Amino acid sequence: MSVKERDPLTGHETTGHEWDGITELNTRVPRAVWFFVAITHIWALIYWVLMPSWPLVTTYWKGLLGYDQAIAVEEQVAKAYRDIEVWRAPLGELSAEEIREIPELMTHVERTAPTLFGDNCAACHGTDLSGAPGYPSLIDDAWLWGNDTDTILETLRVGINAPHPDTRFAQMLAFGETNILSVPEIRTVVDYVQSLSGLDPDVPAERLEQGQAIFADNCTSCHGDNARGIQDLGAPNLTDDAWVYGGDDATMFKTIYDGRQGWMPAWEDRLTEADRMMLTLYIQNRAAEAKQ
Amino acid sequence: MLRKILKPFSKFFEFHARTHYRAERHSMGLTIGIIAAAAVGGFVEIAPLFSIDDTVEADPNMRVYTPLEQAGRDIYIREGCYACHSQMIRTLRDEVDRYGPYSLAVESQYDHPMLWGSKRTGPDLARVGEKFSDEWQVQHLADPRSLVPESVMPQYAFLLNTSLETASLPGRLAALRTVGVPYTDEQVANAADDARGQAIPDSDRAYAVEERYGEATNIRVFDGRRDRLTEMDALVAYLQILGGLSDLPRNTHSSEGD
Amino acid sequence: MMERLTVAERQQAMLITAVLALAGLILAIAGRNDPMGVHGWIILIFAGGLFFVAGNALYLAEPTEDRTTSYYDDPTKVGILLSLFWAVVAMGMGVWVAAQLAWPDLRFDAAWSSFGRIRPVHTSGVIFGFGGNALIATSYHVMQRTSRARLAGHVSPWFVLLGFNLFCIIAASGYLMGITQSKEYAEPEWYADIWLVIVWVSYFVLYMRTLARRNEPHIYVANWYYMAFILVVAMLHIVNNLAVPASFGAAKSYSAFSGVQDAMTQWWYGHNAVAFFLTSGFLGMLYYFLPKRAERPIYSYRLSILSFWGIVFFYIWAGSHHLHYTAVPQWVQTLGMTFSVMLLVPSWASAGNALMTLNGAWGKVRDDATLRFMMVAAVFYGLSTFEGSFMAVRAVNSLSHYTDWTVGHVHAGAMGWVALITFGSIYALVPILWRRESMYSWKLVEWHFWLALIGTVIYVFAMWNSGIIQGLMWRTYTESGTLAYSFTDSLVAMHPYYVARTIGGAFFLTGAIIGAFNVIMTIRRVRQDTQELDYPTKSEAGEPAVPVAE
Repeated sequence: MSVKERDPLTGHETTGHEWDGITELNTRVPRAVWFFVAITHIWALIYWVLMPSWPLVTTYWKGLLGYDQAIAVEEQVAKAYRDIEVWRAPLGELSAEEIREIPELMTHVERTAPTLFGDNCAACHGTDLSGAPGYPSLIDDAWLWGNDTDTILETLRVGINAPHPDTRFAQMLAFGETNILSVPEIRTVVDYVQSLSGLDPDVPAERLEQGQAIFADNCTSCHGDNARGIQDLGAPNLTDDAWVYGGDDATMFKTIYDGRQGWMPAWEDRLTEADRMMLTLYIQNRAAEAKQ
Repeated sequence: MLRKILKPFSKFFEFHARTHYRAERHSMGLTIGIIAAAAVGGFVEIAPLFSIDDTVEADPNMRVYTPLEQAGRDIYIREGCYACHSQMIRTLRDEVDRYGPYSLAVESQYDHPMLWGSKRTGPDLARVGEKFSDEWQVQHLADPRSLVPESVMPQYAFLLNTSLETASLPGRLAALRTVGVPYTDEQVANAADDARGQAIPDSDRAYAVEERYGEATNIRVFDGRRDRLTEMDALVAYLQILGGLSDLPRNTHSSEGD
Repeated sequence: MMERLTVAERQQAMLITAVLALAGLILAIAGRNDPMGVHGWIILIFAGGLFFVAGNALYLAEPTEDRTTSYYDDPTKVGILLSLFWAVVAMGMGVWVAAQLAWPDLRFDAAWSSFGRIRPVHTSGVIFGFGGNALIATSYHVMQRTSRARLAGHVSPWFVLLGFNLFCIIAASGYLMGITQSKEYAEPEWYADIWLVIVWVSYFVLYMRTLARRNEPHIYVANWYYMAFILVVAMLHIVNNLAVPASFGAAKSYSAFSGVQDAMTQWWYGHNAVAFFLTSGFLGMLYYFLPKRAERPIYSYRLSILSFWGIVFFYIWAGSHHLHYTAVPQWVQTLGMTFSVMLLVPSWASAGNALMTLNGAWGKVRDDATLRFMMVAAVFYGLSTFEGSFMAVRAVNSLSHYTDWTVGHVHAGAMGWVALITFGSIYALVPILWRRESMYSWKLVEWHFWLALIGTVIYVFAMWNSGIIQGLMWRTYTESGTLAYSFTDSLVAMHPYYVARTIGGAFFLTGAIIGAFNVIMTIRRVRQDTQELDYPTKSEAGEPAVPVAE
């Protein structure tokens, strides 16, 4: 096999060598390959000249265009911000009622708010706003702090029990943990509270009276004499059928025994005022729809 | 014209092919050739990252991970969280809009190794710190679909019942110091105690943590159980500091985050 | 198999395994309070088992054959079988992790079964277990044949092969226990990394010593690629895994690099694991088995030179295209992008060289599924290298990065190129190694081919769709100039594609199981064929022609 042979099929010569029966043709590199080598290299060369490219020990070639990805994105974001401000600016100035009167503005709100809600709020309150244990539904009538525009806006801004200087503060005391109430007392008051919203109707009247007495001594300062809650304190109404954590025996026992301290993030640093207004309008609209 | 452009390439190749022809008769010749050809690229791309000063921004206030946060980071690695979550907000408008200011090099200066990730099956976590409550993080880690029905994340409930191993923390911090994280002797020596202290507010240990790591340190019962220091404490402490090590991103950006 | 070793070699094997078992014992004791201790026991059992295998055979008779007159194929045989074993295990893991993304509760109530822990078992299992064993096994075969020389040594080939498999076992079992460095495709911890360095250096020495024995003046193309694979993987492995252990009694270590430098190092490694493990090595396979099976000369020796050196030089620069738009300085991104595009030419030159070699053998491609495996592999190699260069362009990458598009791209390469060329080579090799007339069933080879091809196509199309949809949803703005979809919206949209990819993967896995079955049946059932015994012959060849001027 030491002789160069001509491959009958392609007409090219072999290199005259074989390895375990494998031979190689001495075909020239096709012109197309050189063509593409040239194109890619020339393109790369141009790109290097224009853009930041080669390192030079303690600095690097900055490129004739002076392009910088950080500056580029900041400009893009700033420009987009200006564009959005064109329609968004009134959100910071008008009241919710006034905004609702401007259909065009509401179109923007309805377009924008679902994503804002999805990326920021849905993790707790659910994509359908119906909440989860520990995270209240936003489409029912039960509101811890109130559902008027200003209240929601403020809750969004400062959060609840959040690391924000003005945060809303609310705490359900740990009545069992701190020995204020004994275990039987807690069980009694659970039965009483459940009876307020029509749960567990078979409890003897005597036990309910005991429960009411315990409630009057310990709970009314926050939840009110009639147990309808006090929104200024973020204390929930206990006579409706909405429960943040759950109205079953075990959950209620835990709530009273261990206490609760819910946590709503303060969004002032992450969301603009206009964003928070859009979310407020969005929530109110969804709640109104749910009622229908 | 075309021929002229192609000429230098084919001339160079001819020289190259003849050199190769000689080299392929000697296994050492090929070896040296391969090592030389393959070494250039890596050297030119990696070495200058150490020598060019403005590769990493300077932030004198950049803080280090506390032992508890570092332990949480090790759990994040152990569980392979990086396979689905990135920690790198790119310089793209939509990422800045969705996740906040783009990530700076200095933010992962003490990340050995970095956890920028390569896939977002779940969302980016570079700025997830303090976005949600500890309780939410705990419940979400234990049973993600109880809060986010659409989620495909695995459940990590076992973290709540697994005590955090703290004895190895001084060794871990010492190793990190060897590779460049500026822990003090005191921080290394007290790492195990500090991990406990960070999860027991209003205790002597907690005050010591504050003294050693600064007042801004999150000192909380992260997992909701005061009686026990669990792996959940560590992981949540880590998640809550993501994006919080440096104030530089928020201060340097002229842009409006959202 | 032990009877082919001399008594001295058996003693040598006992010594090595005894030392290794001792190392395992030390690791087990040092790491008794850490999952590392489990690894100590695994090493002890592994090495102890081999010690007894060698010891049992110690008093068998010395081999009588003249060893210089034949090739040493026992390690190759074992390597092929191990490769198939890992293929089934790791691809099975792949189908499982894929299914978890579609149905997240498809797991056990145990930490080890979560996505994050079993995903690296899949990736490492396929890349190192399946691919690595196939590379080691075929390289043993190819270097002997193309050098007309027997392997240099009888213990070291086993040391390399089995040592490498020990590394794979430590890697896979470690991930399940939560031992990982988190460096993608380099997850194993420090002691496993050190062990791999020892194995890899032995591999290189073995390769060089065998080449030194060659009866050929020139080294064949396939060997260039195998050498590049061995050398550069060693370089990448050592640099990327530089770390400081937190304690010698535990697995945990911390990378020597951090942040930007670590990101660059990791992707310099990560991308070149693709280049030098999954490309270079398998091109070595292609350059031997394809012309051999097609019985055609390589289309162009000079194109081989061009593409080989192009790949070795350009590929190394490409890693930073994984870091576009990140905190890594833009100049590195530029280099990564431009070199990725320049790399396309040598990549396509190799794919073209392979396909042009088939000129005159297309009839065989039609009739012979084995050759068709190799042909389709070359096509997928061309497709995925084009896709890779395309995705390396910053503008494209801004869309594709972090999405399933990348996953689809990797699998087009891993399934379409790496796995198909491997299966093709295995089908070509098994009858030769075991001296059988043919494979047990050519129909099953056909079945495997079509299942693999359909599986790959379903998988890749599903991931293209999901990736592009995902990328577009993230960046779509409403007419108001605000983001149109939340992250959750994009996640929900992925579900049908995650189901489809699971199905595609299951097709591919079924093919691999059929392939493993076919190989086992070939060994057990097909008649011996003693006619064609290949053995080292004196080279009659003179010098190949000097490449003439263009």
